[in-house]
Amino acid sequence: MIPTPALEIIVLVWGLILLLAEAFTPKIDKRVFAFAGIFGLAAVLLGSFFLAPGAPIASTGFWSFYTADPLAIFFKRFALVTTIFVLIMAIDYAPTIRMGVPGAEPHAGLGEFFALPIFTCAGLMWMASAIDFVMIFVSLELVTMSFYVLVTFTRRNPATLEAGVKYLILSALSTGFLVYGITWIFGVTGETNLARIGLALTTNDFDQVPLLFGLLLVLVALGFKIAAVPFQIWVPDVYQGAPTPVTAFLSVGSKAAGFVVLLRVLTPFLILPQVGKVLVAMAALTLLYGNFAALPQTNLKRLLAYSSIAHAGYLLVGVASFSGTAVAFYLVGYLLMTLLCFAVLIVVAAHGGEQIENYAGLAKRSPFLAGAMLVGMLSLAGVPFTAGFLGKFYVFDAAVQQRQTVLLVIGVITVGCGFYYYLKVVRAMFWLEPPNDSPTIRVSVLSRGAMILLIAGIFVFGVYPQPILRALEARPATSTAATR
Amino acid sequence: MITLGDYLFVSGLLFTIGFAGVLLRRNIIIIFMSLELMLNAANLSLVAFSRFRVDSLGMPDYHAQVFVFFIITVAAAEVAVGLAVIVALYRARRTIHVEDINTLKF
Repeated sequence: MIPTPALEIIVLVWGLILLLAEAFTPKIDKRVFAFAGIFGLAAVLLGSFFLAPGAPIASTGFWSFYTADPLAIFFKRFALVTTIFVLIMAIDYAPTIRMGVPGAEPHAGLGEFFALPIFTCAGLMWMASAIDFVMIFVSLELVTMSFYVLVTFTRRNPATLEAGVKYLILSALSTGFLVYGITWIFGVTGETNLARIGLALTTNDFDQVPLLFGLLLVLVALGFKIAAVPFQIWVPDVYQGAPTPVTAFLSVGSKAAGFVVLLRVLTPFLILPQVGKVLVAMAALTLLYGNFAALPQTNLKRLLAYSSIAHAGYLLVGVASFSGTAVAFYLVGYLLMTLLCFAVLIVVAAHGGEQIENYAGLAKRSPFLAGAMLVGMLSLAGVPFTAGFLGKFYVFDAAVQQRQTVLLVIGVITVGCGFYYYLKVVRAMFWLEPPNDSPTIRVSVLSRGAMILLIAGIFVFGVYPQPILRALEARPATSTAATR
Repeated sequence: MITLGDYLFVSGLLFTIGFAGVLLRRNIIIIFMSLELMLNAANLSLVAFSRFRVDSLGMPDYHAQVFVFFIITVAAAEVAVGLAVIVALYRARRTIHVEDINTLKF
C-alpha cells in the first residue's frame, strides 16, 4: 500500500533524476529520456491503484491542505495519462524541436523537453489534491512556470517566442488577480483553507462586497486557466505558436486542473446567489464565442484552439449545474479526442503543414491517419456512440435537472455550429483530391499504438461509461477507514 | 493612527497602478515590472490583514505572513523564467515593444 502523497514525490524525484542524468550524458540518444519518463509515469499510474486510504480532512497539519478523496485520485490519474501521451507525441515531434533550439550537438535541447512535462505533471497532481488557497497557488504556479519554458521551447521560431511572451504576460497577470483575490477572501474570513472558509461563511455574519470582489478576482484567474470568455484572448495565439505536444498538454492538462480547482473553490461559495449567475453568463459567452469564432478558421491548430474554448463552455455548463461527475466525465472524453487530434496533427504537419488544405485527400495518402482524425472530429462534434457525445449528454442532463433553460438552448445551437467546422476537416480529408506530388505518410509504431488506444477509449467510454462514474464515487473502504 | 483602511487603500492603489501599467505601457520589461507590483500589492494587504487580526494573546495571524513568503518565492522564480523568455525574444527580434510582436493574428 502506497500513501497518496508519495505519488507526487516519486514523479518529482523521477523528473529531477532524468534532468540530472540528461545533463551528464551529452553523447547518447536523448529519446531514451522520453521512454524513461513514460516508464516512470506508467509505474506511478499503476501504483495509484494500490493506494493506502487517505486520512480525513484535518484542521491543522498536512491533511488540512492536501486531500486524497476520489476526485483528487481520479485527476491524478488523469494528469499521468495526459503526460504519458504528451511524451509519446514529443518523441514524434523531436526533429521539429531540434530545429527550433540552437546548439551544435545532434540532440541539444531534447532532454529538457522530455523532462519538463514530468514537473508539470507533478504540479497538476498537486493541484488535484489542493484544498487550501496557499497550496492551490503554489501548485498552480509550478504548472504555469514549467509551461512558460515549454511554450517558448523552440526559440528559433519567431511565432513560438511570440506565443511564449503572450502566455508569460497574461498568465502572470492572472496570477496577480488570483493572489489579490485570495487576499480579500482571507481578509473577510480570516482563513485560507477552503473547508474552514465554508464553515466561516455559514456561521458568521460577513461583509458581502469585499468577499464577492475577492471571489470575482479568483474567478478571473481561473477563467484564464480554463480559457473561458472573456479571458480567452491568449488561447488562439499561444496554441498556434507553441510546439504541438505542448499545445495538447495545455489544452488538456492545464484545463482539467483548472476545472478541478474551480470545482473545489466554488464549493464553499455556493451559498452566495450571485456566483451561479456569474457562472451561467460565463458559460453562455464561452459557448457562443468559441463556436462562432471557430467557423472561419483555416489553420487546424487554431481551429482546435477555438474548439478548446468551446469545450470549456460545455464544461462550464456542467459547473454551473453543480455536477462534478458530468464535468469529470466530459474531461475524460475531451482528453481522448483532443489528444487523438493533436497526435494526427503532429504526424501530418511533419509531411505538410497545419492548414486544413494540407489535409486534402488524406484518406488516400494514409487511410489510418484519416480514420483516426475522423473519429477524433466526430467525437469532438458529439456524434452518438463516442465519448464526446456521452460527455455532452451528461452535461446537458445536469443542466435539465437544474432548469438552466438559457444554457440548454445556447448549447444545442452551438453543437450545430460545431458540426459545421469539425466536418470541414472531414470533408477535406475524404472529398478533396490530394496534390499530385504528395508522398504517402508513414506513422511510427509507437504513435500508431497510442492512436489505437485513444480511438478504443473513445468508443469504449462512448457506450460503457460505468468505470469512470464508479471511480468518482466515494469508495466504501475509504470512508470506513476515515471514520475509524 | 494608521488604520487597516489606510493600508488597504495603498495596496489597492499599487494594484491599480500595476494593472494600468500592464494595459497601457508598450515596453515588455515595464509590463513585467507592473505585474510584480500587483503581486506586491497583495503582499502588503496580506501583511496588513495579518497585523490587524490579533488573537487573544495579542499575536498576529501568521497564516497570511506564511502566504506572503510563498508569494515572494514564486514571484522570484517567475522573474527568473520571465526575463529569460524576454531576453530570448530580444535576441531574435531586436525589440521588446509589444507593437512589433504581431506575427500571430486572427
